[in-house]
Order: sequence, then structure tokens, then C-alpha cells
Amino acid sequence: MSSIKKEFLKGLWDELPPFRVVLGLCPTLAVTSTAENGLGMGVAVLFVLTLSNAIISALRKIIPGKVRIACFIVIAASLVVAVELLMQAYTYSLYQKLGIFVPLIVVNCIILGRAEAFASKNPVLPSIADGLGMGLGFTLSLTFLGALREGLGSGTVFGVPVVWESFQPAHFMIMAPGAFVCLGVILAGMNAFNRYLSRKKGEPVTEPQNAVCASCAGCNLCITGKKEG
Amino acid sequence: MREIINMIVVLSLICAASGTLLVNLKRATKDKIEQQVLVNVQGPALMSVLAGCDNDPIAERKVVDGVTVFPAKREGKLVGVAFETAAAGYSGDVGVMVGFDLDADRLVAIGITTQTETPGVGTRIMKPAFLKQFKGHKVDSLALSSKGGDIDAVAGATYSSSGAVDAVRKALTVYKDIKPQIADLWPAS
Repeated sequence: MSSIKKEFLKGLWDELPPFRVVLGLCPTLAVTSTAENGLGMGVAVLFVLTLSNAIISALRKIIPGKVRIACFIVIAASLVVAVELLMQAYTYSLYQKLGIFVPLIVVNCIILGRAEAFASKNPVLPSIADGLGMGLGFTLSLTFLGALREGLGSGTVFGVPVVWESFQPAHFMIMAPGAFVCLGVILAGMNAFNRYLSRKKGEPVTEPQNAVCASCAGCNLCITGKKEG
Repeated sequence: MREIINMIVVLSLICAASGTLLVNLKRATKDKIEQQVLVNVQGPALMSVLAGCDNDPIAERKVVDGVTVFPAKREGKLVGVAFETAAAGYSGDVGVMVGFDLDADRLVAIGITTQTETPGVGTRIMKPAFLKQFKGHKVDSLALSSKGGDIDAVAGATYSSSGAVDAVRKALTVYKDIKPQIADLWPAS
């Protein structure tokens, strides 16, 4: 039970998809001009990720290794089309705002990354916990980034005015460059906070790059990084 | 060999299962999506060109000669119709919802539904200054003033303006074609 809880919680901070592992940046930057769009996109990813993790994990023993990527993509693509149809049928205005980024969930690295790194090697329950945790972390990150940009750029959060009267909204923040600036500031803030935490505990300061690689099998970047370090 | 067959079988089965799921979902959501598109894409324009009706034009729509016609009723009597036509603008089709008053035999108003014109230039055809010229216009001899008509094009957006005018002219032709049948389709209740 504790391991399932651990798999769920790691997606919320240690391996928070957009800000710690820096995966899935395309929708993170593109749709977060308002908090509502960020939340909608996050929920769509949460849904697809949890179900794809569950299905892939259930089928992991019968999927042949050589065609596993093709199988993962078919499963993810079917789920994304299902989400797209449901969004069109029930939340059409959100579907209009998210536009091309809903179909693009198929090629979102979080989906394939979790399928390859986790769901294809673990039983169903931990995989669902992993998908829920990662999806929830992604949703919260996008909503937070969306709220920040909407607040600074239009003076509202979820359409509700939040700033004082003399506040002059900076339209820059809801344009594309504003997304990069906000993302950079958040990443820097999180790194600084993590260093502060490590120092307080008296642990050696871990470089962000190594922390990021905690769960992956070992890409070139990671191996060379460790050799040098 | 066995390995290859195994791969083919598993991948085919997964694809077949996905296909079945999606076909059924598509069927199940088809009506709902159609309704949503009507309400969200054509709805706002429709309401502006059928002002004053007390029925639900989207729910009572009927297809006449391949054109979806929306009826406007007042106290159960059919007073107007609206339908959408499109013509080429500057970059892509300009879709126009055109409303007709059956008693006066005139245009009620028009509303732009879909367009991909240049923002700030061609999109000015969506401003009231351009659209109001069609209000109450008679159903023949509609053209841009540069072609001897009485509709002034938006300055700098001649292609977009003529796209809108062409679409309305198409609507006029359709209107004349279907007018004799209209009264029978929505009998007074």
C-alpha cells in the first residue's frame, strides 16, 4: 500500500512533470493563457494518462517487446480521440479554446514516457497511482501557470478579477513570451527551494539534472552526467 | 516466424479493439456534437438574424434541397427563415448566416459565422458598420457599389467584402428557389 502511495506522491513534487522532469512543455507553454484552459488541458491529460497506464500495464505481458511503442501509441491515440469526442459533445467552448493541443496529447512525452518507464514494467494498481499522480501534478502545474499568467496579463483568475483597481495588466504575460518567462521563473524558484531544503537537512546539494533522472533507465545525458559528477 | 505472427496478431487485436471503441463512441456522440456545433458556431449569428422569434430555430431546423433552414416563428406562425451560405473571401470561405422576413420579402439581417480573413483588415466585415447595410435590404439587385449596387465595401478589404456579398447573393438565389415550399414545411400551429 505504501508503495502505491509513493508512486502517487512522486508525481506531485519529486517528479512533477512540467517543472521538475520538464516533460510535456508544448501544451504547458501554449494553452496556459488562462487558468481555465490550463485546468481543462490538465484534466484531459490526467484522464488519458491514467487510462493508458492502466491498459498498458494490464497488457504488458502480451505486448511483444519489438512492437511495444506502436501498441502504446495506438492505445494513447484511441484514448485521445475518445477525449476529443467527449469534449466536443459536452464542453464545446473549451474544445474550441484548446484547439490543436487536444489531438497533440498523443505525442505528449509524458504519456509515452510513463508507458515506457513505468506502466510496461509494473502491475496495474501502481501504474494507475503513477498515472493519477503525474496527471494531477501536470493539472496543478498548468492551472498554477495559467492562473499566474492570467492574473498578471488580464488581472483575472478563472475570469474573476483579482487585482487592485490601478493595476495595469501586462498583455505580454498572456502572449507566448510571457509563458517562457513565467516557466523560467517557476523553474528557478523550485530549484532554489529544493537546494534550500537539501541544505537544511544537511544533505549534499544535488544538481537538478541528477534529480530529474531519478526514474529514467539511463539516457546518455544521465550516464555522462554521472560519470563526470 | 512465431515471433512475427505473435507481433502481428497482438498489434492487430489492439487496433481492432480501438477501432471498435471509437466507432461506437463516435456514433453515440454524433447527435450531441452536431447540436453543440449549431449552438456554438451558428447559434450567435442565428439569433442576431432572427431577432424577435419565440421558438427554438435550432431544434426545428429542416433540410431543404441540401440547405439547413432555420425557421423563425412568432405566436406559432412562421414569419422568417435563416440559412447559411458561403463564398470565397480573401483567404478561405466567408460563411454568412442570412435571415429573411417572409411577409415583407426582405432581408432581416446577416451575421458572419465562419471566416479566416486577415485580422484587423478583412475581419472588419464583421463590424456593424458593414453588416447594417444588409438590414431590411430587398431580395434582388444586391451588389457592391463598385459594381453598381448599394453595398459599400470595407475600405482595404474588397475581397473580404465581396466574399460576404457573394455569399448573400447565393442565399438570395436559394431563398427564391425554396420560398414556395417553405410555408408547407412549418405549418402554422
